[in-house]
Amino acid sequence: MNASKETGARMKKKSKTVVKDKWRKGLEISVLSVPALIMFLGFVVFPIVMAAYYGFFKWKGFGSPTTNGTFIGIQNYITIFSDAEFRSAVLHNFIIVIGSLVLQAPIAILFALLLNQKMKGRAIIRTLIFVPYVVSEVIVGTGWSLMLQSEGAINAVLKRIGLQGADWISDPKIAMWTLLILITWKYIGFAVILMLAGMQSIPEELYEAARVDGAGFWQLQKSITLPLLGPTLRIWAFLSIIGSLQLFDLVYIIWGQYISSTAGTSTMATYMVREGRVSSNYGYGSAVAVVIFVISLVVALTYQKFILNRDLDGALTEKPSKSKNKSVSAVAEEV
Amino acid sequence: MRFKVIAAAAISVATLMSVAACGGSNTASDGKVELEFWHNATTGDGKAYWENLAAAFEKKHQNVTIKIQAIQNEDYQGKLQTALQDPNSAPDVYMSLGGQKTKDMIEAGQTIDITSDISADAKKNMASTLGAATFDDKVYGMPVSMEPGGIWYSEDLFKKAGITEPPKTMEELNQAVTKLKAANITPVALGGKDAWPAAHWYYWLSFRECSAKDFSEASSGKGLKADCWNKAADQLEAFNKTNPFNNGYLTTSAQQGAGSSAGLLANHKAAMELMGAWEPGVLKDLSPDGKAMSDLGYFPFPSVDGGQGDPNALMGSVTYYSVSPSAPKKEAMEFLNYMAETKNQEGYAKAWNTFPANDAARGVVTDPALKTVLEYVKKSPDMQLWLDTQLGSNAGTALNTSVVNMLAGKGAAKDIVTAANDAIAKG
Repeated sequence: MNASKETGARMKKKSKTVVKDKWRKGLEISVLSVPALIMFLGFVVFPIVMAAYYGFFKWKGFGSPTTNGTFIGIQNYITIFSDAEFRSAVLHNFIIVIGSLVLQAPIAILFALLLNQKMKGRAIIRTLIFVPYVVSEVIVGTGWSLMLQSEGAINAVLKRIGLQGADWISDPKIAMWTLLILITWKYIGFAVILMLAGMQSIPEELYEAARVDGAGFWQLQKSITLPLLGPTLRIWAFLSIIGSLQLFDLVYIIWGQYISSTAGTSTMATYMVREGRVSSNYGYGSAVAVVIFVISLVVALTYQKFILNRDLDGALTEKPSKSKNKSVSAVAEEV
Repeated sequence: MRFKVIAAAAISVATLMSVAACGGSNTASDGKVELEFWHNATTGDGKAYWENLAAAFEKKHQNVTIKIQAIQNEDYQGKLQTALQDPNSAPDVYMSLGGQKTKDMIEAGQTIDITSDISADAKKNMASTLGAATFDDKVYGMPVSMEPGGIWYSEDLFKKAGITEPPKTMEELNQAVTKLKAANITPVALGGKDAWPAAHWYYWLSFRECSAKDFSEASSGKGLKADCWNKAADQLEAFNKTNPFNNGYLTTSAQQGAGSSAGLLANHKAAMELMGAWEPGVLKDLSPDGKAMSDLGYFPFPSVDGGQGDPNALMGSVTYYSVSPSAPKKEAMEFLNYMAETKNQEGYAKAWNTFPANDAARGVVTDPALKTVLEYVKKSPDMQLWLDTQLGSNAGTALNTSVVNMLAGKGAAKDIVTAANDAIAKG
């Protein structure tokens, strides 16, 4: 009797602490997540909903769309998709997506391999490669646009050494290449750091074992580094794709408000700003924003579903998650 | 670690404070009035002029404080447009955007009719410029300056190339271009990166080509229907074929640094440029010694053969200041009338090296090139507003872009008119 009473009380006490714990946990989660949720709803979801709403109006941005604009249904979307300038902007975006992947991945891996070796001046080279990534887009854009002008420094240097310069920025045949090379130069540091972190999370024992078996340097990289770098590569590619789809600042700074489509480097975002804000067609611009959002979302989800999926699955269980955590902390240390 | 915590705390405090500072502005509770005043002069003499003017006004009106916000020109329109959406954030007195945009603001009730509050002096002295701020016989702004356009040139370079008389017709302009090229001088500087300087060539050609009736038809929103608009595009294409512009003009900006189109003229690397009357001031800032260009000359845009437009007519802009509906009207109007006083307008003309809107203040204009412009202003009938401002940024942007496209060989002359008419479908 006594004993049972005691256990009952103990059980009650225990369940009380469990409830209390649960409640505390709930409170903790909500306190910690509410600010983030508010930010997300207020600065991501709400603007998207508003853009979708404005997108149904012909509206110049003065007053409210209902009184100073006209409701035109999906006419804006019809205009967007029948506009050849928008289609070419989308095409440019996808050229940039593919161009960035193809140009940056091999270079980044090679740099990372090099910097992963113990050698003199490694820290300096690492810093130098990372510098362009840290410098603001506006500074990079202004600097390069001055140097690349027809009468700029690059052409002057080329002339000195007896080479024919070119219209790096304004010639439609060259401009896209100029942009791709600038993007590579600007963002390669980020890719290298990621790859380095990924490489450092590969256990040294694997290399030792392979070396004992008589594998040479390149074979080591081919059979161990590259396969184990997979998750890092995939997440980098994802970030690069998203970045390329949203590309705006570099193009806007170098080619200005108007001439990016003339030079063949316009992107969806520069199109949106020119046709929306610069032309004060706020209704039309909002509709373009919605289209960009949908295109980016579809690309991102497709990538997650078919490519990133295998890393994400593992991330919730064991091994890959460890290596991922490690790589993240390695990045933090590196930086 | 500790440093990070401190830094994070500092950032969040700073964010909170800046958010708090965004709170609503202004008016009265104890007879004190705060006027929020927005203009676009962020540097030099212009900025100082507004600060001094506001201080002098505050001295005369003890109950008024003027809160000045100077906003960089390229950001100005977007910021103003957003601020006007909410009476709490709207400035009380602000530089208006002009043309179609002022019309839109009137329609949205964001700017008020000040016809009956303009002082008698201002009405008399501003006779030639008030028209630009008048819509449906109501005045919506107080003019401060006028900027007619035309071709600014270096007299020395013209002399060197053996050009004795500034060209009066397009044919003479073509001859001048040939002579300058023969003398190894870049004939025309063009800031194609900013697009509007290139488009001005089209605006002027159509202004000479089209009749006044065609212009008023276009600005009533009916699109560019008459044949003259295409003719002007053909004219520009023909002119472009003579290669008059500086090398790499597509990547040349209008006013940034010595490599800009204005910089080329200021440094005698090119012989002329088509611009508004702000040019002497811009050239001064870009010249190697920071002094006004000594051999600067001006001639109005040449006439075209068989054109319907008045060859004496000038195109340009008038800058004026408006009042928002949420403003304390009495004080705001006192400030506008104070701006318009002859003495203050003289100060304005000196600070900007440009034309004051007030006719009585024109005596202070000493720049020889500006004085030449004044002669032509007297001959010109009512000044036409820049075509892009007149049509609104919708059609204006399309025109700007398509003109650049055509110059770059990416589109045909007839695409210019098509693009403008298409753009009207988007707005």
